[in-house]
Order: sequence, then structure tokens, then C-alpha cells
Amino acid sequence: MRFLTILLAVTAAHAQDAGATRADWAHNGGTPFSWRYSALDQINSSNINRLTPAWLFQTGDYAENLQATPIVVDGVMYLITARARVFALEAATGREIWHYRYPEPAVGGFVGNRGVAVGDGKVFFGTKNNYIVALDQKTGRELWRVNTDDTRQCGCNITAAPLVANGKVIIGGTGGDGAHRGYITAFNSKNGRLAWRWYVIPGPGEKGNETWKGDSWRFGGGSPWLTGSYDAALNLVYWGTGNAAADFYDADRVAPGTDKGKDVNLFTASVVALDADTGKLRWYHQEVPDDIWDYDSSYEVLLVDRVIRGRMRQALVHMNKSGLTSVLDRATGEFLGAFSVPEVRNWITGVTEDGKLVGRNEPELGKTTTICPSAAGAKSWNSMAYSPRTGYLYVPVNEMCNDVTPNNRGPEEGRNYMNAEFPMKLIPERTTHSHVDAWDPVTGKRAWSMPYKYVLLASMLATAGDLVFTGNPEGEFFALDGKSGNKLWSYQTGAGHRGGAVSYAVNGRQYIATTTGWHSSVVGGAVAALFPDQDWRLGSTLVVFALPEGSR
Amino acid sequence: MRAAKQFMQLGAAALLLVADASAQNPAGTVRQGQEVFAKTCATGYCHGAKGASGGAPRLVGRGFDQAFIANTVSRGIPGTGMPSFANTLTRPDLVAVVAYVATLNGIAEPAVSMAGGPPAQPALTGDAARGQKLFTEAVRGFGRCSTCHEVGGFGIPVASPIVTVPASAAALKAIATPNLKTAKLDGESMPALVLSEGKQRVIFYDFTSAPPVQRTAEPGAVTFAAGSSWQHSSAIGAYNDSELAQILVYLRGAIKP
Repeated sequence: MRFLTILLAVTAAHAQDAGATRADWAHNGGTPFSWRYSALDQINSSNINRLTPAWLFQTGDYAENLQATPIVVDGVMYLITARARVFALEAATGREIWHYRYPEPAVGGFVGNRGVAVGDGKVFFGTKNNYIVALDQKTGRELWRVNTDDTRQCGCNITAAPLVANGKVIIGGTGGDGAHRGYITAFNSKNGRLAWRWYVIPGPGEKGNETWKGDSWRFGGGSPWLTGSYDAALNLVYWGTGNAAADFYDADRVAPGTDKGKDVNLFTASVVALDADTGKLRWYHQEVPDDIWDYDSSYEVLLVDRVIRGRMRQALVHMNKSGLTSVLDRATGEFLGAFSVPEVRNWITGVTEDGKLVGRNEPELGKTTTICPSAAGAKSWNSMAYSPRTGYLYVPVNEMCNDVTPNNRGPEEGRNYMNAEFPMKLIPERTTHSHVDAWDPVTGKRAWSMPYKYVLLASMLATAGDLVFTGNPEGEFFALDGKSGNKLWSYQTGAGHRGGAVSYAVNGRQYIATTTGWHSSVVGGAVAALFPDQDWRLGSTLVVFALPEGSR
Repeated sequence: MRAAKQFMQLGAAALLLVADASAQNPAGTVRQGQEVFAKTCATGYCHGAKGASGGAPRLVGRGFDQAFIANTVSRGIPGTGMPSFANTLTRPDLVAVVAYVATLNGIAEPAVSMAGGPPAQPALTGDAARGQKLFTEAVRGFGRCSTCHEVGGFGIPVASPIVTVPASAAALKAIATPNLKTAKLDGESMPALVLSEGKQRVIFYDFTSAPPVQRTAEPGAVTFAAGSSWQHSSAIGAYNDSELAQILVYLRGAIKP
């Protein structure tokens, strides 16, 4: 028994190693475990008051903002802008090594890019017109590009950072709010050739297709529009999928009398595990059967090992847009627990111990229903972070509602298929509309919460210095104490925050880098309209902080 | 000749290489091409008078074959200032300017066929609307026609614009693709459609599997040999003959020679 305990402890330590970054920040989520946690502790609560800008880099692309998470490998930073201009910079100085401009595509859709992926000697990114492009990591010269879909037909774009895993570059797309059938596609990183494609919505004859009414599966949405995670030991990639379309009206996709307790419109609003070699579905967990609130489950998947009910589990933690958070066994998909993070919630009254939603409050055709949280999310797409030192998830939570008035328009391929007006609104009795929280994913309890007046739409960074970093729309980049939530430091960067901060080291010096620039469309625009006295500024500058030279 | 008329091209080249009984006066076409060139290609920072010089590359005496010229004029060169003229020039002007540039490259008697003229196409049974849907149908993934062909504003223009519609499903399967070559890169051979061969870089489509991959290599790192193992019949293998016939009905209506 004692031997077993030691063995488990060793295994756990090993897995914990895999989730933390050190000198490099090699993946969108730090590592393929997506913790956004750096094991560097040179910068910590005892010296953070001396943290100061080391260099900054202006991209010159002010079309929108910087939503990207920078990637750092061997002292070189790789950064992409909203219009797919890619830079390689010396990570210690900001000196440009090379840059690449993707030709501006003449198609509609989202202007924004959430990051590159680096691996196998290449830099990969997705484009507005649905290409995956591979550049030579050393020179920035283009090596290959391949089209994943016809933008004019699918109404979709690629805005997420790709995931590099097992010799493949893997990516989803947008389009989950349109008449479109979402998918994840993998290409061989060497030559761009198709490795596999997995459709979120099974076709006729495939398991799960029977959960769709008629031929609604063809345009049922579900697009996985963010970046997945990868466990090399299990050789599984993990992804969250989008909600079904039409978003707010289900009579065309759900047969009358359907039991909404389980498995409706598979595999939308789910966490899925796919074999990295073949793209075959290994297991799934549907978080919201018949998601009729636009609560996308397409967010990041954090792979963590924790003792749960006395047993060390290879777990994963996943939050959907409503703030409903699932804890699953990542090898088997077994449900281990769930909790909900927003303070104001009326779409359900709760979740049972085995993960069933209770008290569904569904929008109805011909009526206007106030639903909380809003479709902008208790958490938006910006990622949370996880620290193995505190065991906490650090979550940016927004408290807003929306008035949903559904309609029953039919699908038109590639066109918006949300089927509702759903203006967002503030909750009048609140004076603060967001908070940074620390949650223990094992107990499902909130350890602390730091309120903020407006909204929080930038990703979180946690470090072994027990610091938690993020930025706000007013331009403030700030650090909280990871144990208490107390604010320790802040710096006005001059433009709102919608991107991701990272930490890395070059020659033993630790850096904290943040992208800046408010994103004025979609959620950013809708939220800004709620605070008309505010003027959150666009921008496209990377700001990098360190302790003064010689002070370490 | 009948076989020749059945060409639908996958690269502009195939069509333009075809000599046709209805060919116009070649000298007249070349003169027309010279005028189009002077107004369109010689201007500004581009190829200069008679293609001799300018901000864009010289076109005289480069050893271009007509297939390459047709391909380049039709599709442009991605990532450079060379646009696609497939939709900006009329079909006769496009054929003429290709013929003219061919003469600048030592081709004394360029092909000037307008091929694809409608005479006597056998009847096809099918529904054009259904054919249009089949052409782009998302459920077929990368097996749909629009993976490589752009028609009516939908699809990815890997192949240059379709200008001739084959007469039957059999003809569609049997289409010859002389513009596909065999590339050798990193010790591996692959069917390839060359987009540009410049001093800085060579760009081509790797046709090993669908979707085709646009690859960029340094000159010298890749070589091309004539001919390839690629077959159009394999690329359209997900459609049955009845579906192909409906697609052809759609294309007959959508493609105006």
C-alpha cells in the first residue's frame, strides 16, 4: 500500500511537470496541457513592485487588436496580428528577426487571430479565408498552405491558434452560429497533406446522427473555434465543441418529446477526446444536451492530475460559456464533478452529482426571456489559468444577462443561424460587473474573488511566483497574489486588453509579456456599448516586463 | 478532333493547347493580343512595352510554353503583383494575349483556339440546381468539385477557370491533364501543378491527396518532369455517373464560352 502511494506520487509529479512552462512558452496554453502556468519564480510577490517594462514592440497592424498569445522558443518570440502579419522577435530585446505578411483575403468574417503554433521547425497559423499556412521557423519563408473550406460558402473563418501534436497541425474553425457543420482537421506538419478530419456532427449511419431531427445535422453548427489540448502519453487530443445551430431555437433540430437529460444533438456542446493519429472519437461528454442558450463548450481544456475522492486521477477541467465547469477522467471520459462559477445564473437551477442539468429555463418562441449569464459568457473565449502550487483555477468571470427573443427562420448555408435577438444588459443591482476568481476544481469551491467594475476579456497567466496576471479594458495590466487575490502591482499600458500574457526566460532573466489593444467588434463592441462613458482604446503593441538588470 | 473538343481543362492550358477546326485567323489573334497587352500588361510598373522590361519580370525570350503562359494569365501568381485575368479579360482577349506572349517566347504559331464552342453537345439528363448543389456539397468534404474549381463565385481556384464543359460523364473522367507534372522535392515524387518558377522561389500545388497543398520551395530544391500519375477520374470518384451528368448540366448553364 505504501509502495503504491509512492508510485502514484511519482506519477503525479511527472504529469505536473508536463503542464508547466519553463524558459519557453511553446504552446498557446503554455504546454499542450493548457495551464497557462509558468514554473519561473524569479518575479514573485517580494519583488513585483520593481517590475518594469523591458521592451515593447509595435506591430503596425491597427485593424483591430492583438488577441494572440505569443509563443517563445529558444529565445525567439513568434507573434501574429489580427490581419495575419507574423513576426519573429528576439525575446530578450524585441529586435525583429523576420516578418511575414499574409495577403489580405477579400472575404468577410472575423478580423482577429489568436495565435501561431510552433513545432517541427515551422510556424503555423490559420487565416480568415480558411487556410493553414506553414512558415520556416528560422527564415519566415512560406513552405506550404492548404485550404480547409470555402469561406464564401461556409461563412466560417479560422481565428484560433492551431495545436501541434504528434507530427500534425490540428485546427477547428468558426461558423458555429451559422448554418454550417463544424469539424476539426489535422494536416501533416511536414507537407500539409490531410491527415484526418473529424466532424462534430455525425453523418447518416454514424452513431449520434440519430440525435438530430431530420437533416438538421447538415447545418447544425458545433464548430470548435478555439485551441485543443494534447496528452502525448495517451495520444489523445481534447477539444471543446460549439453549441448546436440554430442557437436559440431548437424545434428544427430536436424531435418533439426528446428527453433532454442526455445526448441531444451530438457531439455539440461537448468535450471530446480524439485519437491523435486517426481523429477517431475515443469518448465524449456532452455538457449541455440541447444547448439553447449559445453557451458554446468550445473553450480550452486543462489537463490536470489531482487526487479526487481519495484517488489520483488523470483529469481534465473544462468550462463552457455559462461558467459550468466539468471535471472528467481524461483517459475514459468518466464524469467526476461539476460546478458553476457566475454569481448570477438562471438558465439552470443546478447540476446533479452525476452531471445532469436541473431546472432548464429555455427561451421560447414568441416571448422575451431574460437569461443569465449572457451569450457573451460568464467567461468569454479568453483562457483561465491553473497553478499546481495553489491547486486553483484562475478565472475571469463576467456577470451580465441577455434578453432572448427567438425566431424560427430556416437555415441558409453559411449565413447566421442564431435565430434570436439577444441584447446584453447589465445587472442593475451590481456595481461591479466582473471578478477574477480562484476555484479549486476538486472541491468546486471558490477560494477568493477580486471584483472589477467593468468586464474581463483577456486571458490569465499564473506563475510559480504565486502571481496571477491579466489585463482589463481600461489598459491596466495587473498582478494578483495567487493565494489571496490581493492586488500587488499594476501598469497602465495605454490600450485595452483582449489577448494573452505569457512568461519566459532568456539567459536566466524572467520576462512577462502581454499583448495590448481592445477588440471593438463582436463581444468587445457589445460590452463597450453597455458602458457608454468609457472609451476603451484599440492598439496593437506587445509590452514586455522584467526586473531591472542587476536587481535579481 | 472530337476527343480534343471534349477537353475540360484543369489548368487553363489543356484547352488552349488544343487546335480547333474553328480556329480564327492566328495572325489576327496575335495582333489583337498585342493590343490587349499594350493596354493591360505593359502599363505602369508592370511588364513594359512588348514585355521587354518594367517593374514586373521580362516576358521576352524566357522559354515559357503556352500552357504556362495561359495558366499564369488565368490564375495570376499568388503572393505577387500578378493578378488573375480570368474574370477581367473577355475570353477572346485572354486567348489573344496568351497567344501574343507565346510569340515573345519563340512560339511562332501559337494555338488560338476558342474551343468549347457549343456545337453538337450530346443531350444530358439532369437537374442544374441539383448539379450546382453537388458541385459544392459540404457533406462530401474534400471530395467535392469545389475543392479545386471555382464556378459562380464558389470554390477554391486551384485549377484555372473551367472554360469548356465535357460532353459526358465518361469524358469528364477521361480528361487529360497535360499541365500536371511530377515534382521531386526532398527525395519524394508527387503530382504537381506549377504556379510559378521564379528566381527566388518555386510555387506549385502538390496533388498527392485532396485538398491539394500549395507548396513553396527554393529553386534547385525542386525539379519537375513531364507527365504525372494524377487522374481526374480519381479526384471525382465520390460521384456516380448520374451525379456527374447533373454537374455537367449545371456547368453548361454556368460557363459561357
